Amino acid sequence: MTRTQVQVTERIIAAIPIMLGVVIFAFLFMRMIPGDPVDIMMGEAGGVTLEEMDFLRAQFDLDKPLLVQLTRYLGKLARGDMGYSIQRARPVKEVILEAVPATIELALFSLLLALVVGIPLGIASARYQNSVIDRFGMTASFLGISMPAFWLGIIGIIVFSLRLGWFPTSGRIAYGMEPATVTGLLTLDALITGDTQALRESLRHLALPAITLGAGVAAVVARVTRSSMLEALKTDYVLFAKAKGVPELIIVVRHALRNALIPTVTVVGLQMGTLLGGNMIVETIFGWPGLGRIVVDAIFSRDYPLVQAAVMVYALTFVVINLVTDILYTYLNPKMTL
Amino acid sequence: MSVNIERADDIKRHVWGSEAYPLERPFPRTYRRPWSKLQSAWDILLKLRNHPGAIVGGLVILTYVVCAVFAPYIAPYSPDQVALTERFVAPSLANAHPLGTDQLGRDILSRVMYGARVSILVGVLTIAISMAVGVGLGLIAGYYQGVFDKVMSRFTDLLLAFPYLIFVIGMMSVLGPGFWNLILALCFKGWVEFYRLARAEVMSQKTCEYVEAARALGRSDGAIMISEILPNIVHSILVLGTLRMGNMIVMESSLSFLGLGVPPRIPAWGSMVSDGRRYMLNAWWVATLPGLALVILVLAINLVGEGLRDVLDPRLQEGQ
Amino acid sequence: MRSQRGYGILSCLAALAVIAVLLVSVGVVTHHSAQAAGKTLSIIIDTEADRADEAEIIATYLRSIGVEAEVRIWEWSALKERLLAGERQLCLSDWGSAYFDPFDLVIPKLGTSDRGNYSGYSNTELDKLLSQVQMTADQSERKEAYFKAQKIIFEDAPWIFGYALKETEAARGEITNWQPAMDSRMNLHDVGLTRGDTIIVGMKADKIITLDPAMYRDRDTETVLRNMFDGLVTRTWDGKVVPEIAESWTIPSDDVYIFKIRKDVKFHNGKTLDADDVLFTFERILEDGAIAGQSSPRKGLLGPLEAVEKIDQYTVKFTLANPFPIFPQALVHFQIVPKDYIEKVGDTEFAAKPVGAGPFKFKEGRLDDQVVMERFDEYYGGSREIPPAGVAPAKRAIFRMMPEATVRVAALKAGEVHIIQQLPPDLAKTLAADKNIQVKSVDGTRVYCVELNCQKPPFDDVRVRRAMNYAVDWDAILTSIYGGNGVRLACAFLPSGFGFDPGLAPYPYDPGKAKALLREAGYSVK
Repeated sequence: MTRTQVQVTERIIAAIPIMLGVVIFAFLFMRMIPGDPVDIMMGEAGGVTLEEMDFLRAQFDLDKPLLVQLTRYLGKLARGDMGYSIQRARPVKEVILEAVPATIELALFSLLLALVVGIPLGIASARYQNSVIDRFGMTASFLGISMPAFWLGIIGIIVFSLRLGWFPTSGRIAYGMEPATVTGLLTLDALITGDTQALRESLRHLALPAITLGAGVAAVVARVTRSSMLEALKTDYVLFAKAKGVPELIIVVRHALRNALIPTVTVVGLQMGTLLGGNMIVETIFGWPGLGRIVVDAIFSRDYPLVQAAVMVYALTFVVINLVTDILYTYLNPKMTL
Repeated sequence: MSVNIERADDIKRHVWGSEAYPLERPFPRTYRRPWSKLQSAWDILLKLRNHPGAIVGGLVILTYVVCAVFAPYIAPYSPDQVALTERFVAPSLANAHPLGTDQLGRDILSRVMYGARVSILVGVLTIAISMAVGVGLGLIAGYYQGVFDKVMSRFTDLLLAFPYLIFVIGMMSVLGPGFWNLILALCFKGWVEFYRLARAEVMSQKTCEYVEAARALGRSDGAIMISEILPNIVHSILVLGTLRMGNMIVMESSLSFLGLGVPPRIPAWGSMVSDGRRYMLNAWWVATLPGLALVILVLAINLVGEGLRDVLDPRLQEGQ
Repeated sequence: MRSQRGYGILSCLAALAVIAVLLVSVGVVTHHSAQAAGKTLSIIIDTEADRADEAEIIATYLRSIGVEAEVRIWEWSALKERLLAGERQLCLSDWGSAYFDPFDLVIPKLGTSDRGNYSGYSNTELDKLLSQVQMTADQSERKEAYFKAQKIIFEDAPWIFGYALKETEAARGEITNWQPAMDSRMNLHDVGLTRGDTIIVGMKADKIITLDPAMYRDRDTETVLRNMFDGLVTRTWDGKVVPEIAESWTIPSDDVYIFKIRKDVKFHNGKTLDADDVLFTFERILEDGAIAGQSSPRKGLLGPLEAVEKIDQYTVKFTLANPFPIFPQALVHFQIVPKDYIEKVGDTEFAAKPVGAGPFKFKEGRLDDQVVMERFDEYYGGSREIPPAGVAPAKRAIFRMMPEATVRVAALKAGEVHIIQQLPPDLAKTLAADKNIQVKSVDGTRVYCVELNCQKPPFDDVRVRRAMNYAVDWDAILTSIYGGNGVRLACAFLPSGFGFDPGLAPYPYDPGKAKALLREAGYSVK
């Protein structure tokens, strides 16, 4: 094994106690929050006997001492059983698997949007430093960093959905438009099956949430690209290429950009965590049927198993993305070690 | 946010999310800057003169602070004065409510002014507390390393891997709504970034000559940390604090938006936006205007933060 | 140099002063001089976010008579635990009643230590009356007991009695024969449309719980499920119980019900529905752990039901432990499931691909997104007493989760949905001008009130509780923020429910009287 491989393995092993800690923490934390999941499940209809409630509680192990509950939960988890959702009366795994594609699709599109807007903006700002473009670009990116997602989302709904009627206010796709399921990502499925109508529909639904979620990331990407591009444009080889009379476009794209993208890639990796984890508010506003909305709802209904599992998924995503980013970082900068 | 990047510069890069620090540049940590040589607030202000963005930002912040402090004298109405006959008055300079009224006929301008109090306080207090806790622990961990450092690092890894919003929602449910509970919930994770930055900075400073010299002179560890190392890292911490303040304000309003923030007697921008969400179709101003006030404040804070970074961070100055 | 440092210190001090001023102003650091005066009544009004506006108005009314009132917004589950522990003072709450009888309203809300009793109210005389109405089948006796109960509750004033809101729904112009129901269940079987063949409903819920009729406990799930499943009996929109799958029923004694079942009812899989399916449906709910190891949360809704027996292939006998005159009202909420199918595919598969005997059959869907159903062409026609009988006019029915009222309204206007639940009054105005849209209201079955903590001062004093009732102008609240869409309640009973006393007048808005009562109780007033 190379040194990097050893380090990656070490990192993976080091992640295990973190994950275990997160699981245990989530477990205890949920039980600290006041509220009784069984009581919430029963709603408010009359005629619920206390015995009935106790029976239901026993069914979810909620009557056992905390330590027993925890060991049972961990035991099940080790066997790949995430438990049974109290609110939704279904296995937690099903609930989560159903929601994950929507969340991933939204995150990917936000990222794509951030790159498509951020990188050219950053390059243009750097190339024409202190020009109108630069000023505009940096002002926009400042705005992007300062705007809370919930506000941007609401403005988007008021202007583009309610006033102009361009985009739908919520949901993933209208009924009867879904493409055949291949990957679970509607846009990708539509592309694969060549269903242009489904593609258009799902893009229409994606637009507002993706812009809301991606705006902040686009701003960060634009700023990083700009400053690394500025440095790259000052390097000797770029100056040399210029002196040789290489066309400017080629210099910018081929020589400067390649180096300038290294920090961008790292930052994008780090922002990916925000995109996947910071989507709860955006998903709630746009009624996007993803993990974020489910988990917010699950906390409010004290659906312990579901929250625990969702926290685990988030934490795992976080750890994996960090690992990948660090590897990428090392790969792009051989001088760095993990 | 990353779990494992440990160099101070890398932390800064992704925390600040902006200017690139050339990766291959070596650490030039040889300067020594005890407290007496630290730039005074006045010096910093003088230097900020050349940053138009920071000046504008500073003026905006000043306006907000004045509005917040003198709200009872400036605001045209009381923020909780309900007037059921004047619901949903549209904003117009010509009428008595320049920013309109909300679903209970309360004056939005007055509420926005009072709302500044919550946001400014939350921003300042959470940052102050997070900074104190984070820097304190970071100094100790970075200076002694060893077991304490290991344990703390695992602990912060765990905190960072735990989804923040879930955590805060839970915390607010455990503690119940209230101003200090909100501050506590926000600080609980806010200190981690300060911890990481302080720790990384200390680790890079520790090997510098001036620290060795102080040690040779027989100064105690505590004295070295506080009067030798701290002055050398205080600037980057200040910059991080300013840049993070905006985030804390946004976070607070997000919580208010979810109905988990401060009690409603104290109007908060986030809860105003949240209320207005129900009236987007018939009264757009209820949701949008308080949010706009928030965006402008956060923007101003970020502008000042950016200016401070240019002025205070010696690394960047060398690079220029 | 010295002077510059001086500036630094000065600016630090100035910043600290600003923070201190702000802290005091936000009321975080309070000075307790008001408490020293001793006599001012100072209370915190707790509420969930969606009724915060109303709480704010109530606080304004209370302040106007010299009570220090502050509103606090809570996440419901967290608040509820504290309410039940008796830690709070007064809170805005509401409670729905589905049985058109105070059985599932007054007993859980005001019976001593019952699960919905957040006010900690306890009155032995009332408890006696409430157990009496549960044990007897004599309707006039029950009515009398309920009347007495209303007097007691009114006098004791454990709540600031509030109101019942009308349920407002809206539909597009092309929808015909549509009428919102008082129990907010929705039966698309009867609804027609002049254009297109699909009815899309915008639900107020953000999710439904399950597709298995034995596993839910909320109204939203039932609203969807009742289009795929039929019950022995059903209800007209105004609350009358009529046969559905049942042909008829008899009550040979107070605790026995015998149901004859129609012979022409088919499940979506083509099997004929008979007594075995009915038996299976109820046994599945009564027996612990009968549904893939889980127990049905619906057992308690059946009251004292003890046994279900098959008499012949189309006759079923229900035996109760004690008389329970609202049993037919309860049965409305129980949908018949196919025995053979569930035994063959298992409970989990059944919940994923449900088969019922309702007007629509399940096509596909996600519980937190949308549920799609298609018309069942061999439908027996539904209740004979709710015309039209026959298969549904619509070919397809879709229930879409749209928790945001604004989103529902926008979608209705744009024609993305055809019917929406729960139209807020402020938005109803924006729809009034639209000729393509019809808006209808119906009396609701949900009581809104403010519960007072009767166990602790100041509300352990009945004078203070009555003062609160005089202090709030509910009519103003109803006209201003609820668009006049509500009915004042004198007590905890609903006009639509059994045993309502129309003679009992609500506490009037009388700040003078409120002040007098407070003064009598020893508090200073304005």
